[in-house]
Amino acid sequence: MRDELDGTPKNETDPPAAYTPVPVWIFVLTLVLLFLGAVYFDTYGAWFDKQVYAPYESAEELALYQPKSGEAAMLAHGQSVYENVCGLCHGTDGLGKTGQAPPLAGSEWVVKDVASLAHVPLTGLNGPIQVKGQDWNLAMAPMGAGLSDADLSAVLSYIRTSWGNQGSAVSADEIKAVRAALGGSGPSAEELAKMTPVERGHAVFRKYGCFQCHGQDGKGGVSNFNAKTAEQVPSLIYVADGYTKNELIAFISRGERNIPRKNPAGPEPPHFMPKWGPVISPNELSDLADFLFSLKPKGENLGF
Amino acid sequence: MKMMKMNMKFAAFLLMTALASFGAGVARADDPLDAATQARIDRFEKGPAKVDVSKYPQGIQDNYDVFQQKCSQCHKLSRPINSDYALPDEWSRYVKRMMHKPGSGIDSTDGKKIYEFLVYDSSVRKKAMVDDKLAKLGADDRAADEAKIKEVHDKYDNQ
Repeated sequence: MRDELDGTPKNETDPPAAYTPVPVWIFVLTLVLLFLGAVYFDTYGAWFDKQVYAPYESAEELALYQPKSGEAAMLAHGQSVYENVCGLCHGTDGLGKTGQAPPLAGSEWVVKDVASLAHVPLTGLNGPIQVKGQDWNLAMAPMGAGLSDADLSAVLSYIRTSWGNQGSAVSADEIKAVRAALGGSGPSAEELAKMTPVERGHAVFRKYGCFQCHGQDGKGGVSNFNAKTAEQVPSLIYVADGYTKNELIAFISRGERNIPRKNPAGPEPPHFMPKWGPVISPNELSDLADFLFSLKPKGENLGF
Repeated sequence: MKMMKMNMKFAAFLLMTALASFGAGVARADDPLDAATQARIDRFEKGPAKVDVSKYPQGIQDNYDVFQQKCSQCHKLSRPINSDYALPDEWSRYVKRMMHKPGSGIDSTDGKKIYEFLVYDSSVRKKAMVDDKLAKLGADDRAADEAKIKEVHDKYDNQ
């Protein structure tokens, strides 16, 4: 039979005039592609992060990230040291932390003479102090004792000129002079060379003020209100039992910012373990670990 | 028409899956400070918080009670139960580290019981992990750990 109009052969079995099901594999493929797309986006898409898609809001902001020279470079370096070492307690905004660290922004101590300011990071600070009319009574370890003159002067310059503080910049020579005036507290290089690792570690223990919280003999006992550890800073004399040398060095480097609370609803305990990694050198850390291991009371055996 | 309806269902399922995978990505975007440690703890704590000790010797079952009571003061029991510590050397250090924390309330007698439970339990429940870890040790360390496992089994198996 032929079609009446164009004469082409007429198909005897015309397809029925109904919906044709979409093949299932198209859905499976779409699903797989969608999933892979999502994974790809998750891995490489940066989640619309401002820093990737619109990093700079203005020409001024872009200028801020250009390589700096002179004082600007020194202050930028000071900021990075500050955020690594000081900011954990005093805050990147210099406002301090209630019950843990007084503010540096607007503090009368910060803009005082260089010598009395530099004293704080070089020797630590223990006991009562009044800042902006408020009383504080805490302990700060000498967090700056391990910093170079250049690093310490940069960080102090940053603190003195930031957050509305109107102090002058500090030079490395001024820090050197303050260190010299303090002088004689630590052993000299020749003396260190003659010491055993344990003796050198004891010097490290003193240099960084570990004793301020853990006690002169490492037995702890300094009060730490609302800390789960019986409201005390832990003793160190048994670290030989609980840590390998590498574990201990890793712990000291990392610190412990969040101390578990005795009463979960209570305030944050005032003392916590600072992040010592950026401050104490690897050799000093190794000696310190040897010293701490040596504190274990002789002849004590737990039997396991 | 029937076919069309089914495809709509399929499309809805597809959409939900896509949304779910998107959601999963968003959920993990906010990382805490020490992300690696936190992730490790989270992984352990997702596991069961109990051990079936019914087939263990009575002495080890008693030690399990001490373990439950003392260790849950500070952290979930699922943390040590599912942790990747398995060797006597690891448990000895971990238990001592915890018991020396001020106020732990764990004396050396309890500490030893907890240690024995953990060593015994690991040698049974985490046998593959123990064997794997032992195989990676030097000969001396392996012999020392094996001796300590044997010591705990000898003490309790024939009670």
